[in-house]
Amino acid sequence: MAIIRLDSVSMRFNLGIEKDYSFKQAFINFFSFKKKKKKKKDEFWALKDISFKVEKGEVVGLIGSNGAGKSTLLKVVSGVMKPTKGKVEVNGVISPMIELGAGFDSELTARENIFLNGAVLGYSKSFIEEKFDEIVKFSELKDFLFFFIKNFSSGMTAKLAFSISTVVNPEVLIVDEILSVGDIKFQEKSKNKMLEMIKGGTTVLYVSHSIEAIRDLCTKVIWIEHGEMVMIGDAKKVCDKYYEKQMGKKFEDSKK
Amino acid sequence: MALKNILLNFKKYTFLMTQMISRDFKVKYKRSVLGVLWSLLQPLLMMFVMALVFSQMFKFRMEGVNYLVYLMTGLVMFNYFSEASNNAMTSVVFNFQLMTKVYIPKYIFPLSKCLFVGINFLLSLIPLFLIVVITGAPISWNYLLLPYVFICMFLFTVGIGFVLSTISVFLRDMFYIYSILLTIWQYFTPIFYDISMLPMYLQKLFKFNPLYQYVTFARTILLDAKTPSAMTFLWCGLSAVIMFIIGCIVFKRKQDKFIYYA
Repeated sequence: MAIIRLDSVSMRFNLGIEKDYSFKQAFINFFSFKKKKKKKKDEFWALKDISFKVEKGEVVGLIGSNGAGKSTLLKVVSGVMKPTKGKVEVNGVISPMIELGAGFDSELTARENIFLNGAVLGYSKSFIEEKFDEIVKFSELKDFLFFFIKNFSSGMTAKLAFSISTVVNPEVLIVDEILSVGDIKFQEKSKNKMLEMIKGGTTVLYVSHSIEAIRDLCTKVIWIEHGEMVMIGDAKKVCDKYYEKQMGKKFEDSKK
Repeated sequence: MALKNILLNFKKYTFLMTQMISRDFKVKYKRSVLGVLWSLLQPLLMMFVMALVFSQMFKFRMEGVNYLVYLMTGLVMFNYFSEASNNAMTSVVFNFQLMTKVYIPKYIFPLSKCLFVGINFLLSLIPLFLIVVITGAPISWNYLLLPYVFICMFLFTVGIGFVLSTISVFLRDMFYIYSILLTIWQYFTPIFYDISMLPMYLQKLFKFNPLYQYVTFARTILLDAKTPSAMTFLWCGLSAVIMFIIGCIVFKRKQDKFIYYA
């Protein structure tokens, strides 16, 4: 059984929503005959008819230009958004790391935030208590536990967030461009942590603009452009094609 | 099966709710010298201000009624409703940031606000009972019925909170509209006056106000040491359950659309 399955998933956004909600606009729209035409124009399909399967243990990379729909796809898989059309099936526990530190409260201390953020990620109280030392140790923030997050540097906040998110051993790990967190030492550490999780059999869905990272880590790559799937398959092959299309030269050439 | 899933899900997220409630507490009383004591002091002081204004400035009299207890019961209960429903209303919109990042059942936000204000409400019962004791109001076994009306009020508030938070996602004007509605509602709930001062047709109309029923229920116990009538019992329970169910249905139907309006 595939651990993730997307069946012709489409996602529509109404860009016109903001505008329609001023009273003036609502009034104008009410008396306007062009209303229907306008609506169509404001529709935006962030994902169009995407279907793929991910087997257990696969490390799948997502590539594409900015605004191609990568993050939307991750949100659909993690359940934050429900697709307009199509079906999403996930058979396992997901740890979404779409954005780190979701739900951090800057008015609370690091210690309090570990519990709050852990709860946001769906951890139980006993689990956080058990893993508390591990989180603190990994984040290298032992001396700052009773400081307020608002006094943290952005690097420190990110380190703490990364440590909380990765303390679980999820069946599916969703990662959106977060491995470039913290200083060099921490970057190395976080990369190793992810490799360790991959070795442990975690299925990974990984978005990055670093083609090298994708080539190194992934077993399979999906290339999305304008919400449509351009290519899916072997990591090296898809990455090379993507690089060639984007840069107009071969990936190997760039290294020389 | 579906119910079991809902309950399991609920259990999974109770820890998140306790975390959010304790966060609200910490943030609310941060940097205040008296801290949680304010939850006790504030209703007490508000009652004294209102009692002074009405009895001294307006020469307002209610013969044979323990006015302090009368006033404070209404105040404390209405304050719960107004604060909780208001917080619940804004909770979804204010947490959009979070909602677009991780999956959390959305009902958690309004519900945890109603619970948070609920704890405050329970704290404010302490000064209320203090006034009861000081003014020598009768204490009876009927006190054991009070939790019933508090639960009714809670369910009603959650239901209203669900509806308001849903509407305000699509129509932010609701924030402003509701503040006006609340003011109207406050005057239409006999907090500082008695309903018998009104014309007969208004009296009949007022009885449809669930908050009037809840306050009356509590006053019958606190002031007269009587058991509320069967009709009041029924009205309280019915209005609470109906509003709660309406709230749940509205919220559940619309919650998947919330994210497009973030």
